[in-house]
Amino acid sequence: MRRRLRRGLRRMTGDGATTYGVGIGWRPEISGFVADLPGLRFVEVIAESVASTGPPPALAELRDRGVAVVPHGVRLSLGGAEPVEPDRVRHFAQVARLLDAPLASEHIAFVRAGGVEAGHLLPLPRTREAVDAVVANVRRVQAELTVPLALEPIAALFDWPDDELDEAQFLTEILDRTGALLLLDIANVYANARNRGSDPLALLDRLPLDRIGYVHVAGGAAHDGIYHDTHTDPVPDAVLDLVTDLCARHRPPALLLERDGHYPEAAALRGELDAIAEASGYPAIT
Amino acid sequence: MTGSLADRQAALVATLVAGAPVPPGFDDRLVGVARAALLRKRAGETARQWPMLAAGLGHRWFPVFAGWATSRPTRGSLRDGWDLARGLVAKGQLPTVAAEELAVREASWRYDGSTAPRRRRWPAVRRVDGALVCQVAGRIRVVPLRRRRG
Repeated sequence: MRRRLRRGLRRMTGDGATTYGVGIGWRPEISGFVADLPGLRFVEVIAESVASTGPPPALAELRDRGVAVVPHGVRLSLGGAEPVEPDRVRHFAQVARLLDAPLASEHIAFVRAGGVEAGHLLPLPRTREAVDAVVANVRRVQAELTVPLALEPIAALFDWPDDELDEAQFLTEILDRTGALLLLDIANVYANARNRGSDPLALLDRLPLDRIGYVHVAGGAAHDGIYHDTHTDPVPDAVLDLVTDLCARHRPPALLLERDGHYPEAAALRGELDAIAEASGYPAIT
Repeated sequence: MTGSLADRQAALVATLVAGAPVPPGFDDRLVGVARAALLRKRAGETARQWPMLAAGLGHRWFPVFAGWATSRPTRGSLRDGWDLARGLVAKGQLPTVAAEELAVREASWRYDGSTAPRRRRWPAVRRVDGALVCQVAGRIRVVPLRRRRG
């Protein structure tokens, strides 16, 4: 109860006083590794993987020892032209309550259309019509959530042909109209800039960095000249350099390593967490 | 491009997961890269859900899966692998090591191939080469069949 109250107060002040430092995406395959991290203060869990009856025991244990657990949705399809499905929204909000989460997050993307699942996050056209669709869906989710929502721009392998807004305008408009926080995936910033041949720092300079709830850091690999944000490869040095560039402009309250498969040995994973700590200036959690 | 956002999103998803042509204005090559990436991801998810099926096909796993999946949008990795395994059974091409995995699922769940599988409430038995897979109250036992000698 006291913890809940403390979080609530922090949330209300909204002065960025709460910093969580470096965290890691909680996955069942690495739950032992995550539980053993001595300095861990926050993790993220895929919202759809948590049952509405409650989190798995290993995750509940983290929550109960005061580690902040953030549900990260991947199937809401906030960017879908259709209204977000009420059952999914209910589950998402329920999971945030069960985890006693300080905030929740989802993507600026769509994952299904016309009743067909794409199986992955797909980019939106950067048009006013798409902004309206996202804003309407975000408001539907915010109406059920009791904590702030952070929105994550995705890595896109291709763009729509008829963009009206550039990326910074598109994101800023959505954040302004919804009051949502930004979940900035620095590896996505890197991937998009590399694949589009644009300057990632130019994008950072135009985003509302003071609205960042937390940051994702992940690895990837290039195939056939295209960089893929795989979450199954090591974090490239160029992404860590961007972490440093970002923190020099405005250090976010938290940075989280996302790893989704091909898990390396514990020492390698600890090395990645240490590298993020070093790049951001936060204490090591290993 | 014309049409509502809903129509255009549906057309793009059909391109990426159901083999429809690339909508006008998109970069053919990049959309093709995305299509291949989605297929790889889907194959990986299905292999995690059906490890013996993937292992049994070995280096043929990805081409077999891709050949099956290219024109079929996913219905989740459980059903993707299930539909593929049943298709292989019908063609007599299911790897022997994958038979028990399929039999366990068939004994545990009722799946009509078109709606989501549901847990069986009643005991069920499936026969595989050399064994019986028995499910009672959700628990599975594999009972080896005694082979007749001579």
